[in-house]
Amino acid sequence: MTATKEEIVFEGNGVSSGIAVGIALKLDSHHRVVLKTLVEDSAIEEEARRVLQAIEASKEQLHALKHRLEEKVGPEHGFIFDVHILMLQDKSLIVDILSIIRGQKANAEWAVRLATDRIREAYLSLEDEYFRERVSDIENVVERILLNLSGNQPFHWEPLPQDLIVVARDFNPSIFATMDLEKVRGLALERGGRTSHTAIISRGLRLPAVMEIKEFLASVSTGDTLLLNGDDGQLIVHPCAERINRLRVRLEESRRAGFEPDSAAEGILTAKDGVRIFLQANTELPHEVVAARKFGAEGIGLFRSEFLFFAHPQGFPSMSDQLETYKMLAREMAPHPVAVRTLDAGGDKSWAQPGSAPELNPSMGLRGIRMSLKAKDQFAAQVEAILRASVDGNMEIVLPMVSSVEEVVEAKAVIREVRAGIRLPDSRNPRAVPMGVMIEVPAAVLTVERLAEEADFLCVGTNDLIQYLLAVDRNNPQVAHLFQPLHPSVLQCLVRIAATAGRLGKPARLCGEMSSNPFFAVLFLGMGYDQLSMNPRAIPVIRRVVRSVAVRDARRLAEQAAGFATAREIAEFLVREITPLVPMDLKPFLHELVSGEIHTGALQTLGG
Amino acid sequence: MIRQVIVVENRLGLHARAAAKLVHLTSRFVSDIFLAREGHAQAIDSKSILGVLKLGAAQGTRLVVSVEGPDESEAGEAIRRLFGEKFGEET
Repeated sequence: MTATKEEIVFEGNGVSSGIAVGIALKLDSHHRVVLKTLVEDSAIEEEARRVLQAIEASKEQLHALKHRLEEKVGPEHGFIFDVHILMLQDKSLIVDILSIIRGQKANAEWAVRLATDRIREAYLSLEDEYFRERVSDIENVVERILLNLSGNQPFHWEPLPQDLIVVARDFNPSIFATMDLEKVRGLALERGGRTSHTAIISRGLRLPAVMEIKEFLASVSTGDTLLLNGDDGQLIVHPCAERINRLRVRLEESRRAGFEPDSAAEGILTAKDGVRIFLQANTELPHEVVAARKFGAEGIGLFRSEFLFFAHPQGFPSMSDQLETYKMLAREMAPHPVAVRTLDAGGDKSWAQPGSAPELNPSMGLRGIRMSLKAKDQFAAQVEAILRASVDGNMEIVLPMVSSVEEVVEAKAVIREVRAGIRLPDSRNPRAVPMGVMIEVPAAVLTVERLAEEADFLCVGTNDLIQYLLAVDRNNPQVAHLFQPLHPSVLQCLVRIAATAGRLGKPARLCGEMSSNPFFAVLFLGMGYDQLSMNPRAIPVIRRVVRSVAVRDARRLAEQAAGFATAREIAEFLVREITPLVPMDLKPFLHELVSGEIHTGALQTLGG
Repeated sequence: MIRQVIVVENRLGLHARAAAKLVHLTSRFVSDIFLAREGHAQAIDSKSILGVLKLGAAQGTRLVVSVEGPDESEAGEAIRRLFGEKFGEET
């Protein structure tokens, strides 16, 4: 069927390199996919019952909403809910949905979508704009039915086929919490951009991604074959067989890039001059521990625990829910450490806590340790789970978004108190676990010495540090080009953190995704970071980089880099100096060095 | 069976609020009630909000209303009154 379809070529912005062929998986704004599945004869009436229940639940919710609105602003505004409730009672809609379920043996979600599509078509042909726009009311109602059908649960990846390319208008990075990365080969979005968090994670995952593709969604359905080219920023719908054949070799290369387990993972990792270096894994999903081990991570340098919370139906997993996960991580990684970063809700990690008021400026709002110290019971529950898990391995606690030494002192008091209150089966308290402080706010950099005295180790979160230091929201396309990881001020901060930690004899760990880029990794080694934590899939490449570079050479580079005035000069210097040292193709990593197309172009000639 | 032509006289036409009123009203009767634009064959069920809105009936539209059933005369009268009162919007 695909062979007869015409190729459609869309141009966008290639934000993560590599190419991939796969099957389109279209997600809506709630990260839900609407797929048609064939329902067994015996289950058809169950599907019918499910959809009627979802409609009934939707109706009840709308009645309650109507009531609330009328109490607040007066009865004359409740009528729009009447219209929506009448739509839910509309026999023509219900009959249509049920006949699709019974006639096509289709699942309820698909039937609802198909019935809606038919109605939408009829409305879009109306002349009067007002009536045409009632489509938005219908979609509003349908969204509610679908939400009730899903029971607010993320969809299941298990029944989906291999080799998927996820397409959507946009989505926030929490998608990675539920996505099955063994199946996904690429991302294509209408929105997003090079500096969006989703793009950054895609690069870390070596997942080809093209964003800012104008109005392509209408031309793609779930199940279509797609060819995604993250190098050229192209998306081809229904690619012809000849085209795919021509790219066979590159496709295979791209698939292997950075994904192969490394036989060289065995043994102790040292730089060329014998300096011991630890490569660790950043993870957010419990099952990623498998990848961490497979790629030879010496510990989990950063477990982003908010995804544990995000995935929990009530939004807050109990102490014992968390304990189970942490114990598993501890056991799987032993004897290596597992650093759990306590809940870092807020900022751009859209994790709405039920009942919390929306913030106008969430990046500067109640997030990280600030929220933990306000909701101490929740913080204590998380700390207790981490402490209890330490029986099974080596746990570490990392405090996010610290901006003052008082916060660390207060958090330490909570940790001490929780520890004193736990009696293990052998009637002892659990042992103390090392506590690290995230340095990601400029105030923390300037007072890093005081913080390092209170902490057992320091962790650097580069993305937030750059955002706060340069006052640039990387998701804002107007200023995204100003998000410069090599800005001289960023380098100064990173040098200061590593030097202070070194002086006080505390380990300095760099756990931003930046360290998955060979150029940055060499720079960090030179600054004195001996623990780099990154996406597990990036570890094999960085391991080769570490082995081929002497730390004393890297130190000289880092010192010289500090002498330049602009990010671009620093980038050019690093490319010039590091390319000859590392025996691998570094081109795919060039575009992360500086923002802006012109700069990247200039660098490509330089590096190539 | 009663057939009558009714002109939509209120300024906003059979928009969402008016359509909701019509659906509420006609749903109270057991008779089958259908609406069509005059000169168009396709009739819609007046108890279906999706149908009524799909008429796209702006001010001045002429609608053919057909009512059939045990309470057809009361239903026909009630519908005439609702349209005549301009859905209670312009008083």
